[in-house]
Amino acid sequence: MAEGEKERGGATRLAEKARGVVGAVLGRVTANTLGAQSAKTFVKNAAIGDMYELEAAKLALANAHSPRVKDVAQQMIDDHTTLTHQLRSAMRMNETGDQTSLPTEVDERRKQMLDELRRVPDDEFDKLYLDQQVLAHKETVDLMTGYAARGDNPQLRSVAASGAPLVTRHLRHMERLREELAA
Amino acid sequence: MAFNPLEEQGIPLHKQLRSWSELNSTPYDTEAVHPHTRCRVIAMNGIEIEAIMNSHNAARRIADVGVRQMLADVRRVEQQQQKAVNWLIPAGESVLANTIGYEQVAVDLTAWVARNEPDPYLRQVYEFGLLEDYDHLYRYANLMDLMGERRKAEAVTGDLTEILPGRPTIFHHRHPHDDLRRPMTVQAAHFQSILNGLTVLSAEQQTMNFYMNVGNRPEDPLARALYLEIAQVEEEHVTHYESILDPSMSWMTNLAIHEYNECWNYWSCMQSEPDPRIKAVWELHLGMELEHLRLACEAMKEVEGVDPEEVFPDKGVSAPLVFEPNKQYVREVIARTVQWTGYDSEFVSVDDLPEGHRFFEHQRTVNRDGTPSEQVIDRHRTEFGSEYRFSTEGDHPVESLGISGTTEQSGYPNPSAR
Ligand SMILES: [Fe+2]
Ligand SMILES: [Fe+2]
Ligand SMILES: [Fe+2]
Ligand SMILES: [Fe+2]
Repeated sequence: MAEGEKERGGATRLAEKARGVVGAVLGRVTANTLGAQSAKTFVKNAAIGDMYELEAAKLALANAHSPRVKDVAQQMIDDHTTLTHQLRSAMRMNETGDQTSLPTEVDERRKQMLDELRRVPDDEFDKLYLDQQVLAHKETVDLMTGYAARGDNPQLRSVAASGAPLVTRHLRHMERLREELAA
Repeated sequence: MAFNPLEEQGIPLHKQLRSWSELNSTPYDTEAVHPHTRCRVIAMNGIEIEAIMNSHNAARRIADVGVRQMLADVRRVEQQQQKAVNWLIPAGESVLANTIGYEQVAVDLTAWVARNEPDPYLRQVYEFGLLEDYDHLYRYANLMDLMGERRKAEAVTGDLTEILPGRPTIFHHRHPHDDLRRPMTVQAAHFQSILNGLTVLSAEQQTMNFYMNVGNRPEDPLARALYLEIAQVEEEHVTHYESILDPSMSWMTNLAIHEYNECWNYWSCMQSEPDPRIKAVWELHLGMELEHLRLACEAMKEVEGVDPEEVFPDKGVSAPLVFEPNKQYVREVIARTVQWTGYDSEFVSVDDLPEGHRFFEHQRTVNRDGTPSEQVIDRHRTEFGSEYRFSTEGDHPVESLGISGTTEQSGYPNPSAR
């Protein structure tokens, strides 16, 4: 089948328009999201974010004291596994081309965060996990909403737009839980 | 061969309404009809039903009275088209024989789409569904034999489609999350991918509707049970296929794409239809669809400010969808992917699912009191001494399924046991 420019549903103007709409809904510009417009940066950060979430949640299932923290950790495993799969599928589509590949390891900063979770005194685990979760999800929300609004690849924008509301709910949930457990 | 529906002249909308007697098509002869003509009738009924329900859904979400009028005008004609097409099916074609036709559609339509899908991920989505409907065909064919029908399933399908076990139906029952795939985008997908997705979805949705409604018509408890089990799988298939479509499409763009897809489908039917009387129906309906498309494009431009050339390929579509034998292709897909299951948007071998995966619990729940799709094969063996199969190309590509279509003897991993 011929792969002409127009056969791809070309639609540059349509893409611009859709971007405007998504941007209006999700638009939340922070310094962090400005670097998130390239597919390469987005894929790397999204994949690493999911890997960190899965690893941290496994530690929480083993070490958390509060059953509510364990519940939320299980939820993180379920949801970030789904997000990992969605990203993996997207990367197998022609729409993402072969511009970048998925990382297989977390970066230095997340490695340190995970190390801290492994080393923290037993009675401080829950607090550290929730502190990290709030921080990590703020970053993920910025990454997803930023890329959904201004990313350079339509398929990855779609990935970001489909994950953004979910991680936004995660963030609210983590903030609430941290408050309630501190009280 | 190319076809650009945006450059063709259609029938003005005010001339499209037909009388009751014009709509009451003389049915085809179920013995003499070309099996793929039956397939086209079944498939185009599904295409019309999707057009109708999509228009209703739009009407419920759009306040603009002018748009509602346009939707109502066109929808009334879509309804007439649906009657003209679906009334081609004769009373003398039993529900079960018609069911065999539905699954033949699912096999040969999905196989064509898979072979002509430019995207590797979406191709996998079609190949995944293909093997399941292929297995449904075989289970229903065994049921047909048991119900004392005057014909065997192969008399319905001709020798165009083999009737053999695919991925066994017992393994189709997955957790709902494992039927949700990754959507394409209208902006970046190949346009053929959009047409493919909408076409297969329409066929699957009507298959689901059909089993939902006719599944309680048989008297035999096993027949009722098999219909309800497979109807639940068709719900999975609709979930699976609708999840590849772009969820961010605006209403009028979505409408225009639906009308474009109807044009492509009727044009495709015209290319290969051997029955001149039925070909005339396809031709008439194409003329109507061209005008529906023009109206939808106008609305897209006026209401949403989107130009048709931003959405549609400037040279139109290059290939007609063809109902044709896919025997070797299906065999190759069976050999390669029979063990697949879903894990979110991904496909993995059932052996590679993690311990304790939700698939196994779902399997245990629904299969705990026995599974009709297994029982129907058992009962056929008890009553006739062997399974019903129809094969023209030699041995089954999977040795164990060549011996038995039920899973306790097949060597296929039994997830309920895990
Ligand atoms: Fe129609
Ligand atoms: Fe089916
Ligand atoms: Fe199906
Ligand atoms: Fe139409």
